[in-house]
Formats: sequence, C-alpha cells, structure tokens
Amino acid sequence: MNTLTVSLRLAWRALTQNILTSLIAVFTVSLSGGLFLGAWKTKQTVNLAFAQSAGGFDAVLGARGSQLQLVLNALFHLENSPGNLDWSQYETIRSHPGVSEAYPFALGDNYLGYRIVGTTPDLFVHHQWKPGTNYQVHPPGRIFSDHAKEAIVGAQVAAEIGLRLGDRFHPYHGLEYNPDTRHEDIYLVVGLLETTGTPVDQVIWVPLKGVQMMEGHDASSANAISGVLLNLKGSSGLALDVKYNKQGDRATLAWPVPAILSSFFNRFAWMERTIAVLAILMALVGGLIILATLRSTLHERRREFAVLRCMGASRAVVTGSILWQSALISLMGALGSVVLFVVLSLSLSSLIRLQVGVSMGLPVFDKFIFLTCGAILLLGLISAWLPAQKLYRSSLLESLNPHG
Amino acid sequence: MPLTPCDKKLLHMSLLTVEDLQKSFASPSGQLTAVLDVPSFTLNHKEQVAFRGASGSGKTTFLHLLAGVLPADSGKISFDGHSLHSMKESSRDQLRAAKIGYVFQSFNLLNGFTCLENILLAMNLNGSSNRSWAFTLLEAVGLLEFKDYLPRQLSIGQQQRIGIARALVNRPKLVLADEPTGNLDPANTDLCLGMLCSLCQQWGSSLILVSHDPRVIGQFEKSIVWEDLNQVTQSKLTTA
Repeated sequence: MNTLTVSLRLAWRALTQNILTSLIAVFTVSLSGGLFLGAWKTKQTVNLAFAQSAGGFDAVLGARGSQLQLVLNALFHLENSPGNLDWSQYETIRSHPGVSEAYPFALGDNYLGYRIVGTTPDLFVHHQWKPGTNYQVHPPGRIFSDHAKEAIVGAQVAAEIGLRLGDRFHPYHGLEYNPDTRHEDIYLVVGLLETTGTPVDQVIWVPLKGVQMMEGHDASSANAISGVLLNLKGSSGLALDVKYNKQGDRATLAWPVPAILSSFFNRFAWMERTIAVLAILMALVGGLIILATLRSTLHERRREFAVLRCMGASRAVVTGSILWQSALISLMGALGSVVLFVVLSLSLSSLIRLQVGVSMGLPVFDKFIFLTCGAILLLGLISAWLPAQKLYRSSLLESLNPHG
Repeated sequence: MPLTPCDKKLLHMSLLTVEDLQKSFASPSGQLTAVLDVPSFTLNHKEQVAFRGASGSGKTTFLHLLAGVLPADSGKISFDGHSLHSMKESSRDQLRAAKIGYVFQSFNLLNGFTCLENILLAMNLNGSSNRSWAFTLLEAVGLLEFKDYLPRQLSIGQQQRIGIARALVNRPKLVLADEPTGNLDPANTDLCLGMLCSLCQQWGSSLILVSHDPRVIGQFEKSIVWEDLNQVTQSKLTTA
C-alpha cells in the first residue's frame, strides 16, 4: 500500500470518526459555494432568459412614455399600459418600408387575474417567436377568428385555472381581478397554446376587436390600441427612432428591445456588486470553516500522528492525510455547492416562471461552475497546508509522554 | 528458548551504538535547556535491556533519538549499519518503519481503526500487507477473536497486547518500549511484559525498555540506572 493510499485511508477514517464536525464543515462549504454560484450565475441566467423571452420582437410602438414600461407591458405583460395609440398610427407604421412585421395589441381586461390581450390572428399564423418556430395550438384547437368572441389560452393559464377547449368565460374589467367588474360578454376557448416558456404562456388571447368592443368599454376607444409589436428590416430602427422618439411627440418606439432590457438590469448593478462582495465573503467563510474544522480535529489527532510517526509514517503520510481530509471536505462541499446551486436555480426559475412567465431553463454547467469547484478545492488545500506543517513539527514529547 | 551458537555469536555483535549524544530543548523563555547527554551506549543483537529512571529525566527523548524521530544536537547513533545522525528525515522514517517497533505507555492504538487494522496499518507504513502474519501475531498475544474490535472496546491490558503485536509486525531489529506497563495492574504487567520479552526473543528483536517501576526492572537480566547513563542530572533538569 503506497503513501497516497495510506494517507487517504487515514483521512477518511478521521472524517468518519468526527462525522458531525465533518458534516457541519461540508454543509457550511456547500452553503458558501452554493450561494456564491447562485449569486454569480443567477444574474447571467436571468438576463439571458429575459432577453430570450422577448418573443422574437425587435421593437414596440406605444403611447408617449417610458420605453422600459412599454417593453415590460407589451412583451412581459407587466406594469400598466402608458396609454393608447390611434388605429391610424398602427397603419402608418405597418406601411413603413423598414417594418417587416406589425401586430397591434390592446389590453384592459383580465380573467381571474390573467391578462386578456387582444390582437390579430396573424400573430399566431406568421410570427416566429423564436427562429423557425411559430406559436402552436394543441390539436384539435384552432386560432380564434378575427370577429368572433373566441379565445386561445396560454399554457400556464390553462394549467393553473383549468381552462379547457370549449369552456366559456366572462372577462373582468381592468388588469387586476375584481369580481365586481365582470363583463357580460362570453368568450369561447377555441385553442390552447403549447408551452413556450415565455410570458405568452400567462395570457389569454382574444381578437383585437373583442377588447375594443367589449361591453362596458368606452366607445371612444373602439379604434384605440395599446401598442404595436414590431419586427424591423436591417437598420431601419435608427430612422424610426429618430422619427418617433427624437422628432415626434405622440408615440414612443421602444427599440432595440435587448438594449432596453439591459438598461433595466443595469439598474440593479449595485445589487450585483453587493451580492458579489457577499459571495466572496461567503467563500472566505467557507475556507475559514475548513481551517477551523481541521484545527479542531487535528488537536484531537495530535497523539494519533505522534504514534504514526513513531511507527515510521513519513512526512508525506502525515501531511498527506491532513491534505486529503481537507480535500475530501472540499470535494464534498463543492458537490454540495453544485447541488445547492441547482436547487436554488430551479426554485428561482419556478418562482420567476410563476410570476412573469419567463422560463430560465435548466441550470447550465459551464466552465465557471467547474472553476468554482476547483477554487473550493484549492482553498481547502491552502487552508490545510499550514496546520499540516505545524502538526508535523509539533513536539512528539508532549503528545506521547508528558513525563518523558 | 535456548540460544544457538549462531545466536551467541550475534549476541556479541552490536546492533546499536551511541556516542556523545546530546539534546537540548528551548524553554518558554527561549533559553536552551539540556535534557540529555549520553557519552556512550551499546546494544547487541537480541539483547534486552531496561532503563530505570525518574519521570521527566529524558528517557523518552532518548528513545525518540534512537528511533530517529528527533534529530540529535550532536553525537552519533549507529543502528544496524546505518548512521542515523547523517541520514535524511525520509530515510530515517523508512528505517523506523522497517526495523524499529515502538510500544507506548498508553493510548497506543489508533481509535478509529480495529485491532486488525491497527496492525495492518503498521505493515502498510512499511509497504507491505500480510493478513495471515497479522493473524499469527494476534494469536500470539491471545487476541485473535478480538481482531474486529475497536480499541475502546478492549481493556487497557488487551490494548497493550495489541500494541505489542503491532510493534513486532514488521519483525523489527529493535523494539523500544516506553513505560509499557505504566497503566497496567500487576497481573497485566506480568502478562504483557512476559509476552513482550518472549516474542522479542522468539523473533530475534533487541529490546530497550524504560520504566520507573523497580518490579519491572527486576525482571531484566541487564538493567541500567538512567541517571548513570545520562550526564544531565535530575537537579539540573528540575531547576532549569
């Protein structure tokens, strides 16, 4: 049996002998590493998930106001609409040579808290929400007709409130559910959308005219829309930006969508920096915990090592055993960190999906995770190095025979 | 066991020679305190010798120096053809694992390992692993049926017998026993001492035993009063 095996065996036995201390150390390292990974990776994943959930649109045209509010309202179905546009404004932008797709939408109603958005059937026929993929309706469902009181339901809405094909429902006025504001109109569910992992899953879609002509709505808004979802050709965004945002004063063009989302996330840069500092502190705490654990067990193991040295254990066996002990704690801690990170990511993903419909997908195992695991191991070995050297040099006389 | 002519010849060849061996330790105030000054000592092959001396008089330090665990400040130690004083630490470790067995006063065994594992570990440190030999030794100390017991499940006397088996596992040329009966009752003292001496004789190991117990010392043909060998006197040690 070689030095490596003997020292590993001694280390493993030391771990199992001090199982509670070892488990506490592994748990603490896992907690530090998991939170560290979570803090770093979540920001990246959330940014990416939001960018990918923009539904394949380059821009949104809406009432004069905040670009961010427009994007959050039109694409993520959050916030209130900043106002309305005239139908003529829709026609103008639709006919602009730089616009390849234009879908008007209108909102103002809900069903049990889920937004009802009016739009044209074209959105579900022609638009690709991600490259090469159109919205799909589960067979035998179909897309609503332009002038009928029909609806298609997002996957999450269907799953959560149990709307099925052929069900009928009354919309409620406003974006928040209030039982006293029920409209008399009755809508028929004619299709259930397949899951997209985007905020579309959280919406009930009806014909544009349905929202505009809903019983109880102001007659003056019969030709009003909340905004237009756009895809642009080439660099026409620049020209449209000048036309609507710099020269015009009646509408706002939120373009380009990814940059607006980035500026949104940049508002939280201070929070990211704070999390980063906390994460680094957590990593240091992890290292110190390993050090404290080793020091506590080494104090108990002094005599064991003195006996081993008298039996002929070399420096490599003694220091190797301590380094192995730390390496095993670190490795288990690194594994625990990854497990905790996955659990945190999935919980956060589920929470975000529930709240805004954005799917973060499964956690990605990239270089950063492996580097973090390597760093945990390195930190563990560095923490163990000094105690190992100190123990080897410590007096055998004290350990073996205090009266010698 | 009667000595053969070959044994008798070997008995007169020295296994261990010590010349002008000195060792000091730094006191808490930083001053060097001499604990050991042995001008000369010789031990022959298969010879068994007991040192009698007071506690704290440097006997354990002497054993550590002989085992190469501690380096001497000056002097020479020759053991089985090796000059310990000029050897590198790693070579001393190897030599100790292969040729020197150690028995302590108490807490001899590694608590997390069974009796068998304690013995096998000593073999592993010498780069070997022979379970049947470990069983032979356990049988020789009368504890084969306890092979899977942890040390805490044994009595002090039984633990010391396992310690003896472990010290002999690599068929060492020299066994160093540091107050091996210090924690034992008279019956176990006799049992363990008898076992240690007879097994050393049986497998050809020399034995140095240190004790402050006259009853133990009395069982050895050759005994040395430690204070006669160590030129650093007890009064110096206690007043330093």
